[in-house]
Amino acid sequence: MSKEKIQLSEALEDIMPSEYQEMVATATFGNEDRSWKDIGSSKELIEQHSLCAGCPESIAFRYILSSIPAPEDTVFVGSTGCTSLVFPMVGVQNIHSLFGNQNAVASGLKRALKVRFPDVNKDVIVLAGDGATVDIGLDMTMQSWFRQENFTTICFDNELYANTGGQESGLMQKGFVSKMAPMGKKFEKVRLPEIAFEAGCHYVACLTVSKPNRVEKAIRNAVYVAREFGPTYVQLYTPCILEIGKQSMEGLDEMKDAEAIGGRFVMKEFMTDEVKEFLKEKDAEQKARKKAAKAAVSA
Amino acid sequence: MEQYVVKPGPEAFLPPAAASMGIVLPDPGEAHYEGRIIDEEDAYEQIARKLLGAKVPTIFPGPLVLWKWNEKAGKKAEAIRELANALPARLIPMADYRPKYPKIDPEVEINPNHPNLTIWHNKIDACIFVGVHCHQANLALKIIRGGTDCFTIALCAQAGHEDACASFRDINVEKIKKLTETVKRLKSEGVESQALPFTQIKMTRAGRVA
Amino acid sequence: MNKKVEPKSNKILVSESVNLGEEGLKGQKVTDPNVMMFESEREPNFLTGSEVIKAAIKRANLDVMIAYPITPQSEAAALIGELFAEGYVREYFRGESEFAVMSQCAGAAFGGARVFTTTAGPGTLRAMENFPMWAGSRLPIQVCVTCRGINSPLSIQPDTLEMAYLLETGMLVWHAETAQDLYDWILGGFMVSEQPDVHLPLALCCDGFFVTHTKDTVMLQGEEMCLPRYDPYRSPVPCMDMECPPIRMMRDPFIMKSNYISYMTHASWQQEIHAAVERSRKHTLPIMNGSLIDTENVDREILIVASGTAVSQGREAIRLLEEEGIKVGLVKIKSIRPFPTEEVREATANAKTIFVPEFNIRGWLAREIKAILPNNERVIAGPHVAGGMTMPSEVIVEEIKKGLGIKSATMDRRG
Repeated sequence: MSKEKIQLSEALEDIMPSEYQEMVATATFGNEDRSWKDIGSSKELIEQHSLCAGCPESIAFRYILSSIPAPEDTVFVGSTGCTSLVFPMVGVQNIHSLFGNQNAVASGLKRALKVRFPDVNKDVIVLAGDGATVDIGLDMTMQSWFRQENFTTICFDNELYANTGGQESGLMQKGFVSKMAPMGKKFEKVRLPEIAFEAGCHYVACLTVSKPNRVEKAIRNAVYVAREFGPTYVQLYTPCILEIGKQSMEGLDEMKDAEAIGGRFVMKEFMTDEVKEFLKEKDAEQKARKKAAKAAVSA
Repeated sequence: MEQYVVKPGPEAFLPPAAASMGIVLPDPGEAHYEGRIIDEEDAYEQIARKLLGAKVPTIFPGPLVLWKWNEKAGKKAEAIRELANALPARLIPMADYRPKYPKIDPEVEINPNHPNLTIWHNKIDACIFVGVHCHQANLALKIIRGGTDCFTIALCAQAGHEDACASFRDINVEKIKKLTETVKRLKSEGVESQALPFTQIKMTRAGRVA
Repeated sequence: MNKKVEPKSNKILVSESVNLGEEGLKGQKVTDPNVMMFESEREPNFLTGSEVIKAAIKRANLDVMIAYPITPQSEAAALIGELFAEGYVREYFRGESEFAVMSQCAGAAFGGARVFTTTAGPGTLRAMENFPMWAGSRLPIQVCVTCRGINSPLSIQPDTLEMAYLLETGMLVWHAETAQDLYDWILGGFMVSEQPDVHLPLALCCDGFFVTHTKDTVMLQGEEMCLPRYDPYRSPVPCMDMECPPIRMMRDPFIMKSNYISYMTHASWQQEIHAAVERSRKHTLPIMNGSLIDTENVDREILIVASGTAVSQGREAIRLLEEEGIKVGLVKIKSIRPFPTEEVREATANAKTIFVPEFNIRGWLAREIKAILPNNERVIAGPHVAGGMTMPSEVIVEEIKKGLGIKSATMDRRG
């Protein structure tokens, strides 16, 4: 939907809840160069959430929603879990249908939107937990990559099933003692970023959400590449502080530890040479746009 | 077995869906009143009288008219405002359908997941659903019938609502205006609005101002 | 409670926003479904059931078909691929399993597309989690179920047991007897399930092989016509394309997490799905010649009540019995959900004995009928065949004679 269509009917505008009036007035719809830096000066697309205090997932949500390039033409697909308690509160349409089928739903959705809007870039973004992405949904996750579907898959990796109370998952680290792994997990953390690249993803990034700049860049790269080339994958460490025995204020430290040298989440990116070139061009375009915008303001 | 009648409640712990009790929706050119099919032409006056006779008549506009996603929606919103002014009736928006945390403010909004809160809080005895997606409207209409004594009216742009006490189908700007004209005509004929005095809510970006 | 709906007009209600006469795919003309289904001239064609599915989809102005191989629907699914290659279907691909396919169908329907798929037997069961989700989400997807065996040991042969699992999903469930039913109901099915007051998925069932792999004469309209395109903005729920409000919208949110009387919201939601099934009655009447059942000589004391190809076998059994002077009437049940409760009650009001022949071992249709009839000791569940067995008319004759206490030559040595 173009930004112009996201407006209230004048005759009923003054009975609308304040948050919607604020959204229409200041949300960054239609601004391709929107950024996490707009947080605080513009209406965020996440209105409220019921996640635990200090949950890194909530900050990941805010970074992602503030940095996707075209929220006015984006549809998210989620899966069952903590994320699905946030999604009803998000100012971008989104789908939850079953647990684990998110990449199948996204495949059908993306193709339907291509059929119905052949001349518009409708971005489809999957955002699901690691249980949905890697365990119950792995078949459909990977098949959508094999088929070269044009959408981005984001996995919130908290290394366990959080919403059901902290059970072992495939992305859990080896040896970790949890529910359903009473003697510690017996096998290694599944190397999904490597598998994703091998399975046909054109851009893969794995990182924590401790640094908003990095998250923003990875998400934008993934969305742009999905439009032009094919599937992309971003794995974000969003530790479940509740289930790993941390306090509300310790999420950031946990992520910083995990991304330090030798940690499980040292940032890594995989992409083809073609994609590397493409992203360079995209960066140059963005810089030019920003420069022009600045010039316009000062002139 | 007696024919089911769609009347204001409180009806039951979990009232049935009217369609499952054999109530059939009107065809084009028809409306329904308490589950009986009536001529659309007759519905205007019956519904207008019901609204004028209510102490707290209230219109619940939904997303399809609150947002100007096309020209028609904006015009419908205007027609709804005119109807509210003519009656007079309160306007309380159903801005979206999400379960809201931690709770809604029942004075200024209605939510399809617990619409009875808004009905009870404001003592609404007659209400209009308009611009609400049919599925969400039906959820709310059944809950209202279950636990409140509110007379529900649906101005539906599609096939109508047998879960409302009365409903139009294929509603458009002209039909809303015709309902408003009917209200005005009845008033000019001496039918007085029984609405209790109230101030229309007014919101700004900063919060509620009236 | 299931009430009979009297037809007021035998017309399909068509959206005002549809542009009749505009171009569909490959130069087809978008035609009023009333003209297309009831008024236009038809020509006889000698086709298999699979080819008939293709013929219907060719005229369906279809957006998306997602395919997966499983006998006996593979041929139909592949033939629709040919239509895609020819340009008569807008999008088509093979999914990776029936569970994935039905989720892909859901995604396409959430995005506002008209969606068709086919499945059978174990595929239906593998996909099962999707069906109540489709219904709960009000997705008007049509799935053609070509029934086959589901239990171990594996059987690819005709068996209607899988239909029993579909009955409480909230989907519309129809049971075609012939290829002609299949053809007319595929096209009519879109018109019923896409009505804004219905807007539910349709499981259009037929008996595998008996319908899909045999040739029959089917009356088809010209190929120059097609149905109006699906209009997602008449949907009773918001379409997920970011083109309609509200944009702060999850399809569908966990209302169980709402703070107040949220459990009742879920109950109300479930009621609404089954209310929508009820609302489909009115819209189905024009598609099914004015009634959810067909009747022949129901003033007789002995009746056969059946669905699917068991009806055909019953009809032949009635002819054989007639030769012996035993008069039997017939009720063909076309729609299983909604169930034609009043219609069956009326049709069987005078019957002393009611036989329900079925192509499954459990007799789910007999159970449905027993549940709604007064004096249901009149209902004799059977005969039953399963696992791909045929049901010779003589077997029905024998069952009826046995039920009436008439001696007959046993068929048990026919194997």
